[in-house]
Amino acid sequence: MRTKEKDLITYKDGNLYCELADVWIDPRNPVSRALVTHAHFDHFTFGCEEYISTYETAILLKERVGENINIKTFDYGENFKINGINISFHPSGHILGSSQIRFIFAEEKWLISGDFKIQKDETCRHYEIVKTDYLISECTFGLPIFKWDETNKIANNISNWITNSPEKTSLLFCYSLGKAQRLLNEISQTNFKGNIYTHSSINKINNCYKKLGIDINETIKIENKKEIDKLKGNLILLPPSLSKGSYLKNFKNIQTAFASGWMSIRALRKRSGYDKGFAISDHADWDGILEVVKKSEAKNVFFHHGDSESISKYLIEKESINVLFFQGII
Amino acid sequence: MSLKNFSKLFTDLDSINSTNNKIEVLKNYFLSNKPIDNSWAIYLLTGKSNKRFVSGRYLKNLFSQVYEYPQWLIDTCYLKVGDSAEVITLLLKNKNYSRNKKISNITLNKLLSKTLPDLSKLNEYEKNLEIKKIWETLPEDDHLIFNKILTGTFRVGVSIGLITKSIAKLINVDEEIISHRLMGDFKPSVDSYEFLINKKIKLEELNSKPFPFLLANTFEDRIIKNSINDFQFEWKYDGIRIQLVKRSGNISLWTRGQELVNESFPELVDKMSNIKDDFVLDGELLVWDFQEQIALNFSFLQKRINRKSPTRSIQIKYPIIFIAYDLLEIKGRDIREIKLENRRIELEKYFSTWQNQPKNNISDVFKICDLIYPKDWSDAQSYKEKSRENNTEGLVIKNKRSIYTSGRKKGIWWKYKVDPMQLDAVLIYAKGGSGKRAGLYTDYSFALWKDKELIKFASAYSGLTNNEIKELDKWIRKNTIEKFGPVRSLKPEMVFEISFEKIQISKRHKSGIAVRFPRITKWRKDKKITDANSLENAYELMKKI
Repeated sequence: MRTKEKDLITYKDGNLYCELADVWIDPRNPVSRALVTHAHFDHFTFGCEEYISTYETAILLKERVGENINIKTFDYGENFKINGINISFHPSGHILGSSQIRFIFAEEKWLISGDFKIQKDETCRHYEIVKTDYLISECTFGLPIFKWDETNKIANNISNWITNSPEKTSLLFCYSLGKAQRLLNEISQTNFKGNIYTHSSINKINNCYKKLGIDINETIKIENKKEIDKLKGNLILLPPSLSKGSYLKNFKNIQTAFASGWMSIRALRKRSGYDKGFAISDHADWDGILEVVKKSEAKNVFFHHGDSESISKYLIEKESINVLFFQGII
Repeated sequence: MSLKNFSKLFTDLDSINSTNNKIEVLKNYFLSNKPIDNSWAIYLLTGKSNKRFVSGRYLKNLFSQVYEYPQWLIDTCYLKVGDSAEVITLLLKNKNYSRNKKISNITLNKLLSKTLPDLSKLNEYEKNLEIKKIWETLPEDDHLIFNKILTGTFRVGVSIGLITKSIAKLINVDEEIISHRLMGDFKPSVDSYEFLINKKIKLEELNSKPFPFLLANTFEDRIIKNSINDFQFEWKYDGIRIQLVKRSGNISLWTRGQELVNESFPELVDKMSNIKDDFVLDGELLVWDFQEQIALNFSFLQKRINRKSPTRSIQIKYPIIFIAYDLLEIKGRDIREIKLENRRIELEKYFSTWQNQPKNNISDVFKICDLIYPKDWSDAQSYKEKSRENNTEGLVIKNKRSIYTSGRKKGIWWKYKVDPMQLDAVLIYAKGGSGKRAGLYTDYSFALWKDKELIKFASAYSGLTNNEIKELDKWIRKNTIEKFGPVRSLKPEMVFEISFEKIQISKRHKSGIAVRFPRITKWRKDKKITDANSLENAYELMKKI
């Protein structure tokens, strides 16, 4: 195993760090310079002196953090230099603006996958294969029990779920950034022709997407939650945080569902407390991760986020790929 | 009709929470499928028999072998999913095995009456090939159902009551009738289904079947507002509830789980056959100490329950008794609508008649329960407190003027159970749960002090709320000392109040004691581990009894 000092990217205080460039990648505590792969809350923090991201991510970050942040943007594929290190963003297919980040120094290539997916998603750029020597990949769904169905199959299931209960209001919970827009796009291509209502948090993101040229079908913002009970036969998109607590308490004519990759497991579906689960994810499934590892031609792979033990062992045993482990990672 | 309809029924039932909607879905299923498939569906849904054709472990090994898949990876996946049938279903989905283009349209009937039973005729190699073939020809959506039936783990959130309701609704007949028809053995066939949905009700057909059981509610304080004389008091025995049915000379022993257990208790069947009259008795079956005239511990009964055709020596070693507390039918006359106090008079009258016929020789397998006569409610309470002395769990209180209905109806019977014994113990191990609790640490082991050492004394699975389970799961992951497979040894820090029903000496356990029905009743965050109880305290509890 290589020693920590020689690695271009290391794991430090729970974050990925490039010492030569002195940049942090998706840091969870304020730092002087942060590269941000995408605008989900668990990938950035408030209070960094400088942010660097794609243009789309910057717009979404400003929506979430405020207009007054110091942020530099670069296009996908555009090279920029920090302390002599060549850096570039590449589409990761996770959500709008999401990127993989490649570092090149002394002819050695390092690629941080960011959160990524291979599946079809018309609301963001498709995953781009980037060749590298070292790959640092997420493995949120790094077990072979995860195999996503075609997106349109899930969308049709959602459509049937709504239309089969015309006497009820269908509440679909999903992350407000990325998943919601992808679902809106997919549902518009199904037989469901009812109205779609959205919570204000989703509505805000929809507007950002539209500003960035993504075609999102019209939705109606919920002004008064009391009306929810009366919207039978229609669909409402809500963020998962509202499923807990008192928000749903007084509704009688509703059915609920959660759209998440975890819903492919029955025990988790049952435990989630939703009536129904739709297994749709913005992360790669097992095959997706393996495909990326292979096509990146990386000779050395690191995993983080998720059950890295199993996929590492599998790649070492079955594919003879050199899997490395960060020091200090749990 | 193919398996597909049943798969869809399963998916629907699994994702519907409303009882009424479930009934509607079931009704529609019965209407649109063939009688024979309906019959199998009922068989599976009511859990009449969950025959295991191969074990979950076998299924996982088989998958590993035929697809050259690492066993450890399947085991890791299992920890996340908690169900062998589902793990294999998900793995099958992932692997794009050369699927046979010919999709099989196997019916539920064919699967259960032919394909699966035939597996036992094959050797291991052929069996594996056959299962592989089914996997590769069955539509993907049917894999879960197939794997679940194969491993005998088909379960869905549908009670027998729900099936009863939907059939009753289907043919517009009283629920009671359907519930009666669904009692006992159910052999799936066109006939058994037609019998179930027959609008005409014939008495003979129902001959061997027990009545739906009347169940006791938990004691409520407001009962004591009534006069003590309105109630009948009995000891609450800790055996198995049995309805002893004798009609046209034939005896049937039915458990509350609607199992026919004649074969396990041949001496009882034999002796009771001597009685001339036909009858239906409700009571408790126990292993009995005839010298002391006291019930023996439930663990003795367990030696008998699962053993069919027990040898003579087993029968002598674990002598059983049937203690009747109710008479439901006599000489073909259903007397459930008669008040309890009058049924009791009949019971006593017939019992003494039967007993006094010397050739009957029934007294070593059959008696009627003694009644207790507390003077007032506080006297009733002191009876309850004494119940451990005669190995009972407390009292059963019955409304003297009540009729024998079915189910857990309010205001008829109450169980008045003695308070559980309790000890504060330290959490030392945790194991991953299965099924609904897959992926969470939910099986806990607790220890008591012996000098300065913590000795494991009980394991418990239940008693925490879902939020507590999640909180504890997080704590467990952060405070693991060592992992041994699915088990983690933990930093001794958390104290829980453990309640249990019984405590006895056990040579099998390191602690030297065994407790019955241990469960968590409180998370004692206020206590330090030094406040937990010792084995000494446990021995003291034992002496008190």
